[in-house]
Amino acid sequence: MKTSLGTSLVLHTLVLTWALFSLSAPAALNVADVEALPVDIVPVESITQIQQGDKKAPLAEKAAPTPTKRPDIVEHAENAGDNDVDLKNPPTPVKKPVQTETAAAPEKAEKPLPKPTPETNKVKDVVPEETAPKPQEVAALPQPKPEPTPPTPEPTPKPDAKPAEQQAEEIPLPDSVPVPAARPRPELPKPAEAKPEEKPEPKKTETAKAAEKTPDKKVADKKQETAKSASSKQSDFNADEIASLLNKQDAAGGGAKRSAQPAALGGKKTTSGSSLSQSEMDALKGQIQNNWSVIAGIEGAQGMVITVTMKLDESGAIIGRPQVSTTGGSESARRMLEGSALRAVMRSSPFKNLPADKYDSWSEVVVNFDPSELL
Amino acid sequence: MEHADLAAAAGSVSLLSLFMQAGLIVKLVMLGLMGASVWTWAIVIDKYMSFTKAKRQFDQFEQVFWSGQSLEELYRTLAERQNTGLAAIFVAAMREWKKSFERGARSPIGLQMRIDRAMDVTIAREGEVFEARLGSLATIGSAGPFIGLFGTVVGIMTSFQAIAGSKSTNLAVVAPGIAEALLATAIGLVAAIPAVMAYNKFMGDAGKLSARMEGFADEFSAILSRQIDEKLQPRQAAQ
Repeated sequence: MKTSLGTSLVLHTLVLTWALFSLSAPAALNVADVEALPVDIVPVESITQIQQGDKKAPLAEKAAPTPTKRPDIVEHAENAGDNDVDLKNPPTPVKKPVQTETAAAPEKAEKPLPKPTPETNKVKDVVPEETAPKPQEVAALPQPKPEPTPPTPEPTPKPDAKPAEQQAEEIPLPDSVPVPAARPRPELPKPAEAKPEEKPEPKKTETAKAAEKTPDKKVADKKQETAKSASSKQSDFNADEIASLLNKQDAAGGGAKRSAQPAALGGKKTTSGSSLSQSEMDALKGQIQNNWSVIAGIEGAQGMVITVTMKLDESGAIIGRPQVSTTGGSESARRMLEGSALRAVMRSSPFKNLPADKYDSWSEVVVNFDPSELL
Repeated sequence: MEHADLAAAAGSVSLLSLFMQAGLIVKLVMLGLMGASVWTWAIVIDKYMSFTKAKRQFDQFEQVFWSGQSLEELYRTLAERQNTGLAAIFVAAMREWKKSFERGARSPIGLQMRIDRAMDVTIAREGEVFEARLGSLATIGSAGPFIGLFGTVVGIMTSFQAIAGSKSTNLAVVAPGIAEALLATAIGLVAAIPAVMAYNKFMGDAGKLSARMEGFADEFSAILSRQIDEKLQPRQAAQ
């Protein structure tokens, strides 16, 4: 026995020492670092009941669209904006003013002025010799033009020229204007107008009044300016430009509801979705239940649901006769409970504590009762 | 246990540190179970050796017994030694036979009965030797897990008290105390499982050896009874 006890002890010590070294330090578990997933509970009202606001603005207590600039209030407007009329389309961004008008006018004015000196000389050399007799007859427009300017399309200048002539006649310009005559280019209609009128003039001026050129120019300039303004008014008629002139307000679209609050996150428009909250509904139910004289010991009320549909006016009083319908349960129990439910509803008639601002949602109320809760 | 101790020991879960952290009761339980385990294995080794030795002796004796050798001669050689098992039974029976026969027994039935009694006593004595200490194996096997569980419960109680004191539910604080407490159950199971298995095996072996001794005793009794009849009849006839 001693030997076996000794053997056992030796074996145990061996096993223990082995265990001390091999089992002493179990490898630590490698736990992967998993970040907790944040879970938000989003009420469905955020989708079904949206208040009008700005889509890019930060979230605030109450949704609000970008503040409007106009203070005047338009009645019954639903869409936010600076417009006079309540439109559903969003306000268009302010466009840059169209500068076509201002750009067009100076071109006409500047071109004739710098060019006359070099060109007039050339023209003068040619024109007096050949066309001396022609001008005298009448202002024969077509003939002189083709000679100095070969590439220009002839038809365009002609129609333009005529009205120009008429204008010129109205305002006594053509007689005394010497300078624009130099123009050989018929690209623009206006220079073309000038040419025929001037051509007769240079003959006079060259022959008789060479010294008078400078004073004439000044006068001519003044007269040209007036001519330009007159001509531009008529020939540059553009509906868009006029519209842009007339449109002195920023807003081009959008609604007419004014908003003074700072912009906050919200939807494009307000979707009506206000409904009675659970506690408000419970309060309504409680008022009915308080007036419900319970009939004890009804059999067959298991699984029955009583649905009361009633219309209320703004004071909470019932309009007309509420509709009571029941499902489930036995026939006799249904009939009894329908009657008692109707009586309870009528007795509790002006309902109290209904939120006035939510009248839309409780103007017609559907209340469901489980009679097993009442019995 | 102080909070600081707990926090400091929180990191180490080695076997020795687990033992050293444990409270006094848990330590005692663990030490007791370790002793039980040592004792169990000591018994196992002892029994294994003694049973194999007994079987070998049985085989040798049976071989000699049935070899046709004179029983008187066999008795003479064996009587001088310390005998166990079949040899002890044989010697006891022969001794009784000799005593009664040499003194001139009258009744063969009485002689037969005495020889049987002598052999039964020897069988009982030998069987006792075989089954000695197997009871402690049974005790360790059945009680070991419970003792370990007791240690675990006490250890978990104390460690929960310490956790309540430390006011932290961090797993690193909770774990070592529980691991240390569970060590007690582990040691209990380590001691109990081999004990139960060894107990079942050695009880079976002891039963087999006892049956073999019973069988030998019956056979030898039959032989002696025949001898008695043969030897007493001429004597009675002579009278």
